[in-house]
Amino acid sequence: MLSCNDLVVAHGDIVALQGVTLQVEAGETVALIGANGAGKTTLLHAISGLNRVSSGDIRFERRSIAGWPTDARVSAGIAQAPEGRRIFPGLSVEENLTLATVSWRRWRQSIAADLDRVFGLFPRLKERRRQLGWSLSGGEQQMLAIGRALMARPKLLLLDEPSLGLAPRLAEEVYEQVRCIGETGLTILVVEQNTVLALSVADRAYVLETGRIVLEGPADELKHNARVREAYLGR
Amino acid sequence: MAMRIPLQIATAIIVLGGISGMVLPEYHLRLLNLSLISAVAVIGLNFAFGYAGLISLGHAAFVGMGGYGLAILTTTCGWSPWLAAPVAIAATAISAGLIGYPLLRLRGHYLALATLGLNVSFYIVTSNWIAMTGGTNGIARIPGLALGSFSFSGEHQFLWLALMVLALIAAAAAALHKSRLGREMIAVRDDEIASEMTGIDTTRIKIEAFVLSAICAAVAGCLFALHMRFVAPEDFTYAHSITYLAMLIVGGEGTIVGAVLGAVLLTFLPEWLRFLGTAYLFFFGLLVLGILVFLPTGLVGLGQRLSRRSAKTPLLASARAPEATS
Repeated sequence: MLSCNDLVVAHGDIVALQGVTLQVEAGETVALIGANGAGKTTLLHAISGLNRVSSGDIRFERRSIAGWPTDARVSAGIAQAPEGRRIFPGLSVEENLTLATVSWRRWRQSIAADLDRVFGLFPRLKERRRQLGWSLSGGEQQMLAIGRALMARPKLLLLDEPSLGLAPRLAEEVYEQVRCIGETGLTILVVEQNTVLALSVADRAYVLETGRIVLEGPADELKHNARVREAYLGR
Repeated sequence: MAMRIPLQIATAIIVLGGISGMVLPEYHLRLLNLSLISAVAVIGLNFAFGYAGLISLGHAAFVGMGGYGLAILTTTCGWSPWLAAPVAIAATAISAGLIGYPLLRLRGHYLALATLGLNVSFYIVTSNWIAMTGGTNGIARIPGLALGSFSFSGEHQFLWLALMVLALIAAAAAALHKSRLGREMIAVRDDEIASEMTGIDTTRIKIEAFVLSAICAAVAGCLFALHMRFVAPEDFTYAHSITYLAMLIVGGEGTIVGAVLGAVLLTFLPEWLRFLGTAYLFFFGLLVLGILVFLPTGLVGLGQRLSRRSAKTPLLASARAPEATS
């Protein structure tokens, strides 16, 4: 479904990604793990269109999308729940969700079914549907960010550090929902520093270090890989 | 349900304005008319600055384009003002789109400087293109607006015209606040990157906000030309742009009621404080500074805070207000 071929991304003189090749097949959940500054978010932003690609190609459903603007990629079916949530503080929960339907919604088309699906996954959002975004707790904001991405009716869901800044129990709760979303058949690419959580939901994983993929394989295999255990799982 | 707030705002404007029109003396009526014209322009600025977060210091240039457009079409071309006004407004909207396309790539203070430059250029062009604009002498003898035998030339008659236009624009703006486009603008202001990720074409939204703001400015410009019957470059300098911005900030950015309150207050304030003489500017600076520091949500925010304390019901939905209280 998604393939990145020898992707190079540079911020000015600093090369953040030096030739990354990565594949995501339809229906699978893929984790991208790595330390701070490894280039995980840079890669995700290259896929969603927020970063320009210096060389290499990104193909989504066999079409090259490397030159497309972000909103065209969202229409094509790539939605992202960004790092740090970035929900709209001045809009209510429901408005945040409604807004994300601009990519596909036609005049007077109903979004009730989409809203119900998100509220089904995250009942707490339903309770707070009239509250403004800034008034939500961190966990609720993360749920809203994921829900907002789902409202775009994506084929590929990009999740950037969904556990960031959450208490361990809340992070597990969020990941429980990520697993549920994955089980519905949606393709997910999740970027995460919390390796344990990411590997628990993923089918396959890539390990990124200083802009290069250093390891890849099935999640269960990586869990037992000596290098991964030492570097990311604390043995 | 969706039209309740717009209708309330429109009714409030007409009732309050109508009552003021009956009790105020002629000179204050003139000021009231000027403040209503400013209010139309400030509601426009609210689209760009209050909703979409675009800092524009060139709003007076668009007011001027509307005003000059009407003046030139009615005097040089001899058109009826009824026909000239929509053409002038449409021309301003198109210019705003063309200017906005390159300009809105800039952000924050760069955009502020570029729009300031636009306003200064407008002044230079209008004061030097003598064949078209009459230079610094301006354009006089603009015909007044008449409906059949009823002329909107007196202050009382003009008041009704200004009130109608303001009520219409305010209601439209309030309806837009709750619409999809309004939400998209607020989203772009709140977080541009998140908006892009959500699938919003942020460039398009910014241009739409800019054009909407210019349309309101042009309406205000046409009203101004019809009221004064005279336009000159001095009426549309960047100082006017800054005044519009001050009106919006004093009233409360992001709200329609704030835009109108700010426009009325800052038009009347110099009159009430005339005894201060030249010290007025000092006082005005302190006032704006004080509001920025202590009341970042403007007078509307103050009203909301007071009413929440007493009745625990917000006065009006404001997009910006909660951030200050959080």
